[in-house]
Amino acid sequence: VNKTEAVRAVIEAAPREPIVFTTGYSCRIAKHVADRPNHFYMTGSMGLAASIATGLALAGRMHAVAVDGDGSLLMNPGCLITAGMTADLPLVHVLLDDGAYASTGGQDTPSARADFVAWAKACGYASATRTRDPVELALLLRRALATPAPSFIHCPLADEDERVPPRVDLELAGHFRRFSRHVATL
Amino acid sequence: LSTVTLGAPRTAAGPSAETAETAGPAAPSGAETAAELADLLVEAGFGPFFGTPCGILAPLYRALEGGIGLHTVPREDAAVGVAVGAAAAGRRPVVLMQNSGLGQSVNALASLAVPYQVPLLLIVSLRGVVPDPTQENLVMGRITEPLLEGCGIPAFRLCADRFPAQIAWARRVAGMEHRPVALLVPPRLFGWSA
Repeated sequence: VNKTEAVRAVIEAAPREPIVFTTGYSCRIAKHVADRPNHFYMTGSMGLAASIATGLALAGRMHAVAVDGDGSLLMNPGCLITAGMTADLPLVHVLLDDGAYASTGGQDTPSARADFVAWAKACGYASATRTRDPVELALLLRRALATPAPSFIHCPLADEDERVPPRVDLELAGHFRRFSRHVATL
Repeated sequence: LSTVTLGAPRTAAGPSAETAETAGPAAPSGAETAAELADLLVEAGFGPFFGTPCGILAPLYRALEGGIGLHTVPREDAAVGVAVGAAAAGRRPVVLMQNSGLGQSVNALASLAVPYQVPLLLIVSLRGVVPDPTQENLVMGRITEPLLEGCGIPAFRLCADRFPAQIAWARRVAGMEHRPVALLVPPRLFGWSA
């Protein structure tokens, strides 16, 4: 599965639930696949996508999805501690792991020997699974969206993306307001 | 409200910010001052509260933990991230941090909270400011207010005799202007000593 297929699977499985996409290609691909009001494109602040989704789940008492990357998670692994701290947190944390800092030139992430699923379990996530199949990713995501507890889905990517869409150039304040208005309807 | 009613402007630290803390024996204890601030923040509609512990803020931390509750987040920039999520859910979150953690949070503020115009309140303690002589905090003490100004985050030093006006100001800036705002806690506000 490549990043585009994985992002598409997430978007199709969560048409209304808030989804926070991490900076870089995840944002760009998501906006290109479908620009929906339940999407939050985090264009900067690398590492904070799962933290934002945790705040939504915690304060909004609603399921929230984070689409994280391996480089991003490595920048703020403490987000796992915070999410795992709340046993009934309705968070779905999806990790799209291409083993690289894709948007900065494809440098290797220094995590070849790290086990992200074990990290999530050790931090208190109720479930932590791994899939390399987009259909199964969507199934796992839908199951997690029906579970009132933090879930982690590790999706190692193998295939190249054909082409990556351009930078997200939305007016950011207006984007946040659109997202907040959607969240208020849930 | 003008800067005159709110307290000392950010750049002129001195006399007016200190007045309240040099009052006589009838002055409230640090715990009482902190409890009053916590109550006023909750009454003004602020919450939920997130934070990373700090000695100066410990009495406020305690007051919140014993009342409405507070979520500890192990790093301040991550606390800003969680607060942004809470704000997206329609809340008016507060992040308690030491100014050393403000240093840690610069990118979270500069690339997330400020450009996305997220209404949140930062309560930032001022280590490295008189009477805190610790060398490791002096640089951050010196740059805290210029840093906030450079980020475009309006800030005031809290004064115990002006809490209601200062909180109303923070509520208005965060809620009406949709932007992050900061209230700063000088070392002695809740009785901290070096």
